[in-house]
Amino acid sequence: MSDKPEISIAGRRFIRALLLICAGLLVAEFIIHRHAYFALEATPLFFALFGFVAFCIVVGGGVLLRKLVMRAPDYYDGDDDA
Amino acid sequence: MLDAIFAIPGMMLILGALAVPLLPPFVRNYYMLALIAFSGWSVWQIAPGVHMTANLAGIDLILVRAEAITKPFALVFHIAAALNVIYAMHEDVKITAMAGLAYAGAAIAALFAGDFLTLFIYWELTAFTSVFLVLDGNTARSMGAAMRYLLMQVASGVILLAGAVLLWREGAGFAITALDATTPAGFCVLLAFGIKAAFPFLNGWLQDAYPEASVTGTVVLSAFTTKLSIYMLALCFAGLTPLIWVGAVMTLFPVFFAVIENDLRRVLAFSLNNQLGFMVVGIGVGTELALNGTVAHAFAHIIYKSLLFMSMGAVLFRTGTAKASELGGLWKQMPLTAIFCIIGAVSISSFPLFSGFVTKSLTIGATAKEGYFFVWLALIFASAGVLEHSGIKIPYFAFFGHDRKFKVKEAPLNMLIAMGIAAALCVIIGIFPQPLYALLPYEVKYDVWETGHVLGELQLLLFAVLAFVFLIVRGLYPPEIDSTVLNTDWLLRRAIPRVVKGLAMPVLTLWFGAVAWAQKTILTIFRISEETSRESGLVSGIASTGAAAGIFLAVFALMLLARLFM
Repeated sequence: MSDKPEISIAGRRFIRALLLICAGLLVAEFIIHRHAYFALEATPLFFALFGFVAFCIVVGGGVLLRKLVMRAPDYYDGDDDA
Repeated sequence: MLDAIFAIPGMMLILGALAVPLLPPFVRNYYMLALIAFSGWSVWQIAPGVHMTANLAGIDLILVRAEAITKPFALVFHIAAALNVIYAMHEDVKITAMAGLAYAGAAIAALFAGDFLTLFIYWELTAFTSVFLVLDGNTARSMGAAMRYLLMQVASGVILLAGAVLLWREGAGFAITALDATTPAGFCVLLAFGIKAAFPFLNGWLQDAYPEASVTGTVVLSAFTTKLSIYMLALCFAGLTPLIWVGAVMTLFPVFFAVIENDLRRVLAFSLNNQLGFMVVGIGVGTELALNGTVAHAFAHIIYKSLLFMSMGAVLFRTGTAKASELGGLWKQMPLTAIFCIIGAVSISSFPLFSGFVTKSLTIGATAKEGYFFVWLALIFASAGVLEHSGIKIPYFAFFGHDRKFKVKEAPLNMLIAMGIAAALCVIIGIFPQPLYALLPYEVKYDVWETGHVLGELQLLLFAVLAFVFLIVRGLYPPEIDSTVLNTDWLLRRAIPRVVKGLAMPVLTLWFGAVAWAQKTILTIFRISEETSRESGLVSGIASTGAAAGIFLAVFALMLLARLFM
């Protein structure tokens, strides 16, 4: 895992704006009706939670996959056809 | 005769490409753009239906035929071809320019092929023209990748031809129509399309070859082959339910590979594979909404995917690398490229007001409407994955992240113009989807702007961005590592060669044994003939004229027979 990076001022502003928008989207959830095809979809905050969790699973899955398929950058270089 | 040949869509580009190397550089690019514009204009006039047939040795060929979905594909292929020319204007490369134009022409001609034999010709022509683009990478690696690429492409062509012949034997003729995938013929055709559409396990060539091509070559490659295959799948296998699952797997597995891949152009090649998955799902569902989704998605995707490849190409062109582990902070030096890249990134991630949203929503909506719960879940999961690798990883590691303090200039003007046009199209389609919807095979009744739907999409994407910020701030996001990521091309590059070498040992032993035996035998024959040819020998000794004439006649007769039958 990489070290915790220094966050620039622009980065902090971006994060603050993002948090604000996300908060707005959470509030909107209780104002706007979402038409749902499936019961799970109708659960309050389904998309927000799913987005967050799915993203973490994708990254976590990548970390696990690395153990399986990551090789040295010159892995194929010794082969006959490079 | 000549006007008939030029009336075949794309033929103007294929034949016109032959003149490309002869022209001086300053004429060449404008000549190609003019050809593409003229070709696009003439193809635009073609209404659905059969327009040109030929009879070759009793076989009816349908040289030009348009379906309801042909026009949007033909249009976007022309747009991509034109963007490619503009993007490569700073270069003076004759052969790749020629190959690129002929490749686009072959792909366009293939769209209008009405029978499998005609299709086979163009199918192989796309392979043989595009391999020059991979070779143009000009490294030992690109050489190897080009050979493997050609192998897979030609294999697809040969399987297609086998399928066509089987169809003929079944009495179905060669016409391209809906096929039954459970017959041997249908299965062969499906497999041939599956290779070029990069189905799971048949996908290795795509991530292997595309990123090894040159800066401009990769952009050209990204547009045609795979989408031609999607088009053909839509014509022949719409509604084939197993394709839904094949497509769902295609949307999922590249997502994980893209997280750990370090070469950003290879990340985009995985991303391309994931996008094809959405289109294959649409074909599998096969309803009007789903097929509209597939066609619209292919259209929008060609533009934003080539925009992303163009932006990474510009980065590679200026810095000499596309590796995430070596890039970062480029927004200061290349601000316009950064903006265009971000427009491509939000388009592919399907943020509302960008082209991915108004097209991908149709496919996802179709799976929900038909009640495919798990497929629907897979597609929105994959959407979060797209955001990860194409939406965030590509722009973040190239233009932000660690500032590597590059001393480079902004991309050349022609590259900026090509990226600017592509970016503008992404925004225009995203805000005004109606003209694109009007091109689709069926009327679009789905309301993508429904407030609840927009809200759900924004929540999904922005909370995924939030997850990214959380992982970065906490130091949990995996660092970029210069590495090789094993993919299914490993079979072709490592497993099969090793197995073949293992099997080859006994074969080689046998071979060399046989050669030694043959040498010994030949020497013996020489020795015998030498002995019999001495003055007192059997052959050269004195014999009667009659016997000599008899032998001469026999030899002459043998020669005659040999001439007749060989």
